Amino acid sequence: MCSTAFTGLGRGQAKALGYPELPIAVVPHPFGIRTRDELRRLAREIVDDIARLLCEPALQDTPVVAGRLPSDGRAARVEAPEDLEELNRFFVGRRWSDGLPAIPPTPERVARMLHHTRRAPDEVVSMIAPAYGAATVERIAINAVLAGCYPEYLPVLIAAAEAVAAPEFNLQGIQSTTNPGAVWLIINGPIARRLGVNSGNNCLGQGSWANATLGRALRLVLQNIGGGLPGELDRATQGQPGKYTFCCAENEEANPWEPLHVERGFAPESSTVTVVPPLGTWNMNTHAKDAGDILRVIADTMAFPVGSDYVYGGGAPWLVLSPEHAHILKRDGLSKLEVKRRLWEQSKLAATRLSAKDFARVQNGRRAELGEITRDTMLPISPRPECIGIIVAGGPGTHSVYMPGSGYTRSAVTREVVLAD
Amino acid sequence: MAGSMVVLDPVAPERNEQQQSRRALDGLTGKVVGFIDNGKPNFNHLVDDLAELLVSKHGVASVVKHRKRGSVPVPDAVLKELSAQCDAVITGSGD
Repeated sequence: MCSTAFTGLGRGQAKALGYPELPIAVVPHPFGIRTRDELRRLAREIVDDIARLLCEPALQDTPVVAGRLPSDGRAARVEAPEDLEELNRFFVGRRWSDGLPAIPPTPERVARMLHHTRRAPDEVVSMIAPAYGAATVERIAINAVLAGCYPEYLPVLIAAAEAVAAPEFNLQGIQSTTNPGAVWLIINGPIARRLGVNSGNNCLGQGSWANATLGRALRLVLQNIGGGLPGELDRATQGQPGKYTFCCAENEEANPWEPLHVERGFAPESSTVTVVPPLGTWNMNTHAKDAGDILRVIADTMAFPVGSDYVYGGGAPWLVLSPEHAHILKRDGLSKLEVKRRLWEQSKLAATRLSAKDFARVQNGRRAELGEITRDTMLPISPRPECIGIIVAGGPGTHSVYMPGSGYTRSAVTREVVLAD
Repeated sequence: MAGSMVVLDPVAPERNEQQQSRRALDGLTGKVVGFIDNGKPNFNHLVDDLAELLVSKHGVASVVKHRKRGSVPVPDAVLKELSAQCDAVITGSGD
């Protein structure tokens, strides 16, 4: 059953998963505002249709081919206009682009990029939800060329394509939700310096080729391989600017604690990419100069009633601490884990601040984690303090960034970047 | 095409191999129907009403309900249990 606005998603997803004839009963959207009497009437109106659909034979009897991988051969060669303006109209017409001008993925450019991995062009790196298209090495390279990536960026994108497909990331939820989740790439280790990924001033803004094109390339992978086309399988109500591109490195030199990849079990000399699906970015400008004061204002920023993590639980909110804030916290004797513990404790939200429907959702969604939830319950932002993610990035200044989590993703995912040489 | 060039297609082909034929039920009398409630407001009420009508009007033997947590997938163990218990399962998508 789908509400009308989601029927296309249901149909597209059923087809992508190999069940093109799955019957779908449709109910009017938005559904949640109907009164109890309206729902009773609706049930009476549709029950016969549902009974009929359950008993209606499929149009054709197709043999079972469970377990078979989709076509993962080499990419098709397509004839396109040579003129730059015409070529970009061609890209837009085929919905290959994100709306910005793109670089033509000629066989020569793609071949140059493929030199930067030892993996075979037709090797399937992962299957990208919600259409579950096969992310072959070649297909990742084609999208990287379209986005403007330099050839040596390819290993980062292969690692990113692996990371987003990890089950705990729940890419299916991220790509097809009405939420505005964008996939943020955090680069750690020597590769960040080698590729010139900005970790300093304006690292989440414009101006760095590596940040801009790496984030953009992953978006094109999600759209062209994963089928996340706006208004189709991507159901975002508004989306957010981070869906064009969202990538930075951690400022490891200015980080007084262990860097993210070491915290997550990788060797300091390894290079990694971490994927996170924030719902947005929120600047926190505070001139507080002691740990207690800084943590209080950050925790207050985190605690707002429509932060999805409070409603869903299980999520992972993130913070980008400025080097200045991080140094004050470290100077006052706090480890990164202690910072997380204090923020988790201090950002608890009184359940009474939620709307009635959101409160009901919390009661349903977080009962297993928190037991019986009443209006007096203080809701933690995530199941455990360790679920709060922290990196140190940016240049001088008293600004840190809060990124609310899409609570349906339990964890960020980190993968090592494997170089050809 | 005048002034043309060759580019490589960035789009993954659709997974169009049918995985499994859908089995239609030979009537609903005596059958067990499952619902996976997506946890969105009101869907639980519609599930309750449909369950009642499927039993009273269409002879369904029983209805099994699972309410899931927002956009988080149903755990594999629950899916296995539902497919063992039920002749058909109805899921919900949307708001």
